[in-house]
Amino acid sequence: MHHHFHPHTHDPSRLLVRLDARVKLLSALTLLVMVISCRGTLFPLLVAGLCMIVCVTTGMRLKALAMRFVEPLFIAVTVLLLKLFFAGTVPLFSWQIFGIHVVGHLDGLKEGLLIASRIGGAVSLVALLGFSTPFTDLMAALAWLRVPWGLIEVALFAWRYLFLLFDDAQVVYCAQKNRLGYAGYRRGLRSFGTLAGALVIKAFDNSQTVTTAMVQRGYDGNLPLMRHRPFRFAEVAVAILFVAGMGLFWQM
Amino acid sequence: MNRNKILVVSLTSFITTLFFSSSAHAMHISEGILPFNWAALWFAVTAPFVALGLRHLNLLAKEDLSMKPLVGLIAAVVFVVSCMPIPVPTAGTCSHPCGTGIAAILVGPFVSVLVAAVALLIQALFLAHGGLSTLGANIISMGVAGSFAGWLVFRGMRKIGASLAVAGFMAGLLTDWATYITTSVELASGIRGSEPFSPLFWKILLAFIPTQLPLGILEGAMTAGMVVLLYKKRPDLLVKMKVLRAGEVAA
Repeated sequence: MHHHFHPHTHDPSRLLVRLDARVKLLSALTLLVMVISCRGTLFPLLVAGLCMIVCVTTGMRLKALAMRFVEPLFIAVTVLLLKLFFAGTVPLFSWQIFGIHVVGHLDGLKEGLLIASRIGGAVSLVALLGFSTPFTDLMAALAWLRVPWGLIEVALFAWRYLFLLFDDAQVVYCAQKNRLGYAGYRRGLRSFGTLAGALVIKAFDNSQTVTTAMVQRGYDGNLPLMRHRPFRFAEVAVAILFVAGMGLFWQM
Repeated sequence: MNRNKILVVSLTSFITTLFFSSSAHAMHISEGILPFNWAALWFAVTAPFVALGLRHLNLLAKEDLSMKPLVGLIAAVVFVVSCMPIPVPTAGTCSHPCGTGIAAILVGPFVSVLVAAVALLIQALFLAHGGLSTLGANIISMGVAGSFAGWLVFRGMRKIGASLAVAGFMAGLLTDWATYITTSVELASGIRGSEPFSPLFWKILLAFIPTQLPLGILEGAMTAGMVVLLYKKRPDLLVKMKVLRAGEVAA
């Protein structure tokens, strides 16, 4: 999992990383709405192509990009097959498999391709957003968009301790594996339950330690709000022009 | 559904799991799959649950300052657990549990909605499990349906005298299956186009059975293991979170 959070992915020397997170978030959300409300396959594929090119040219590793597409691709193929065989009325082909008459439908295929292209476009867009924006900046941008502060606080706490817990989990998992803790399903399940339970205990203990440390530094139950620098005219103007340009493609 | 269609669905799910072995994940609706109107509707349905979760969390935090860090850390645990691969025997793949069952047992169903929301947000942004446009739908399935099913089953089983292990197992099992069924409803309603809802719902339900049915059992076993470990090692935590009464631990 660590390759998804590699520190070089948020290298501040890259132009895209330096852009205001609010501008990136608003642009990405607008494009996302366009992708999921689009009625053709070309616009989502255009967005997918652009985002993937930007991801690769700005340093995202191909393996990391490919891994992000594994699950969406699995779902896209499942939906495509379901639509091809079970939706629509215009026959495209028919097969006899072990005496079963299987019919693929043209209109079902079109519907399936539309959904698959939307998945491709939307996943690429969010991959680019996550790749180019540090999590804390994204949370600050969400707070600016009036997402409830309590939710942001919980997300920030989770993010702060996620890597610690993940490293602990890996250590415990390796120790269990070396002691044949995953030899056989029953034993594997027991080991996995123990691992997850140990993480919960660590979470409880860490929360107490963190609270004590924060109270000593003046924590009263609320984290201070994150401050934003003023918007830069050039960034906002370029973003508006880009989104408007994409809007023209969306309407076509 | 006739016999041919059932066979084709089984074949489809077998082929997809074969091609994508080691990549079947806890069932989240992928980014971009829901059209705008359905995505917006699920966000609207989620809003009151998130608001109630925040209200519960603020009340808890007034009594105990460590509650917000604790809920954040439990969200991190749910995230980490949902990233750990566990083998699914029938599909020959590795899959991932939801983890919201244990969160609901420990912090209650409303706060567990927040836990799920945070875990899903991080997963959507950095792992492409689920998505931003489908966040509302995924919070409803994993956070609301999963948490409430798990919490209600755990409390109900304890009330009728079931042991922690049995109650934990049933809570984990039904958390997973409730998530899976709700996701199928959301998916069928979102992608059906001009088709009727019911046939597509059953097709999706059938297509995901090879991974989700055994995964529920695995999640049940995992949740039971977690609760039992907490009882053995740190019963004080279960008392603090009002899972057990102090007298039950002493006994």
